[in-house]
Amino acid sequence: MGTENDLTVRDRFQALLGRDDAHLWLFGIGAVVLAVLPFALSTFWTRIALGALMWIGLAQSWNMIGGYAGYLDFGHGAYFGVGAFVTGIVMVELELPFVAGLLIAGVFCAVLAYVVGVPTLRLSGAYFAIATWAFAEAIKELALILEITGGTYGMTFPTGPGTSGIPLVGWPDEMFFYYLMMVLTLGTIALAYFLFEHSEFGFRVKAIRDHEDAAQSLGIDATKIKRRVYVISCVIAALFGGANAYYITFIHPNDVLAPIITDQMIIMALLGGLGTIGGPIIGGVLIFLLNRLSSLFLGNTTIYLPLIGLLIMVTVLFAPSGVIGILRGEVGREDVKQNLRELAEKFDIL
Amino acid sequence: MSETLLQTDGLTKRFGALTANDEITLGVDRGEIRGLIGPNGSGKTTFFNSLTGFYTPDEGTVTFDGTDITGWESHRIAREGVGRTFQIAAPFGNMTVRQNMLAVQTPKSVDEHERAQEILEFLDIDHIADDDASGMSGGQKKLLGLGRVLMLDPECILLDEPTAGVNPALADRILEHLRELNDRGTTFMIIEHDMDVLKQIVDTVSVLDQGRHIVQGTFEEVSTDDRVREAYLGSADDDEVPV
Repeated sequence: MGTENDLTVRDRFQALLGRDDAHLWLFGIGAVVLAVLPFALSTFWTRIALGALMWIGLAQSWNMIGGYAGYLDFGHGAYFGVGAFVTGIVMVELELPFVAGLLIAGVFCAVLAYVVGVPTLRLSGAYFAIATWAFAEAIKELALILEITGGTYGMTFPTGPGTSGIPLVGWPDEMFFYYLMMVLTLGTIALAYFLFEHSEFGFRVKAIRDHEDAAQSLGIDATKIKRRVYVISCVIAALFGGANAYYITFIHPNDVLAPIITDQMIIMALLGGLGTIGGPIIGGVLIFLLNRLSSLFLGNTTIYLPLIGLLIMVTVLFAPSGVIGILRGEVGREDVKQNLRELAEKFDIL
Repeated sequence: MSETLLQTDGLTKRFGALTANDEITLGVDRGEIRGLIGPNGSGKTTFFNSLTGFYTPDEGTVTFDGTDITGWESHRIAREGVGRTFQIAAPFGNMTVRQNMLAVQTPKSVDEHERAQEILEFLDIDHIADDDASGMSGGQKKLLGLGRVLMLDPECILLDEPTAGVNPALADRILEHLRELNDRGTTFMIIEHDMDVLKQIVDTVSVLDQGRHIVQGTFEEVSTDDRVREAYLGSADDDEVPV
């Protein structure tokens, strides 16, 4: 009797996960909760929420090319950094407001992603991963030697009233940046939802990921579509990079162009569930909180790295479709037992 | 008077020292159902790949409806009117049957939702249109593969083993669909190992052996041809094609 009830609840929950109206309600409620959240939280926790929002958006941007299109982009963080530096250069050198810097960073990264995408998207699998990783490293080294980026000294952003370029915003404070990240992140989620889950464009992207030859034989111009996904996802990373840079006011190539930025995006999307809308949201929150809370309670900023490593191993071994896969019921108790048995046999434990 | 729709002239494809397609000259008439047979490794699938832009031929030309399509990218050839299916029917995952259909790049003037519904009804799989495509049976996957190609409304369809691994009842249904499409004017070229299937449906058969086009004729002509027996058996002494 109890089991039947449990099943019904579970089935209902899974059915709800697949319903469009439920998605819209969830999005609406989420947006309202996020909008009032800073009034309920202390500055400290607002800052944590702000960071979590940014990482959800970044993980979702990586998920577009890595999850939906299936191209393992190990250089995605480069656009986060380039977005930061271009925003900074526009604000410092051209003395334009932040909004102009952010827009120019977006356009600049669109062109950059297009140019990088033309040769690299011809590669696949590990070769694409290596090429994009090398690109990111090259960008970081370049930022370290260029004068306009401040080289090894880094770059300080103008602060104070009027620098944002947004009317009614005086001195950009914590609240301003919280709502900026909220808008960017909700925008990214909505874009991903409509583009990849509810349009023919998204179906074509998934078709290319699953069977590129079959997709091509159905008239789909795979090269063009992959390039579009890559450009969109990179521009989003650039916008977050610019917004974050204006928030933290000082950027250095070793920070905003660090490989860990890309790694975190990948881990978040992977843990939550690749090629899903909910995956990067869940993964983003979990990993970011793990990061913050481990440094808060364990007083150590590196302990979370081995923890993440462990999480990834567990995910890949037992729930390759991530937390979303578990929620959808793709990975049941029996599957975990089966995986454990296989693992035990492999290592001759039994 | 028949008219050639798809024509290859001296089509050659080499992989290093191996010549997979050796100067294949072959024409398929408009409205015809052509069978393409040959022993394993005779170059049938390579020929399909060269025709549809997945391989760039080393020599020779491919002409479709009077247009030279040699070396065109595969998606352009598909849009031009040459559809194809693959040996292994794999639906695009994490998508419903209908979404699989809508993924196809149709011309802008087409109402793709309406066309998808029509085709799904035609193939009798409209009742599972909104189910997850990965849960389909092998035969249903083959039907979906055919359905996706039909979204392009192609004049010519190349089918790579359309009934392989499908239960006999469903295989018969697939053949019926092909006949009906052919009656409506679609031209087919079909790779098929099952001669019982082939003789039910084809007008003519082309035989490849070691990359060369050795014989062309009706099913009866081809099945009694010495060169074909030799291709399959290695000698002309045995009685019939062993399939």
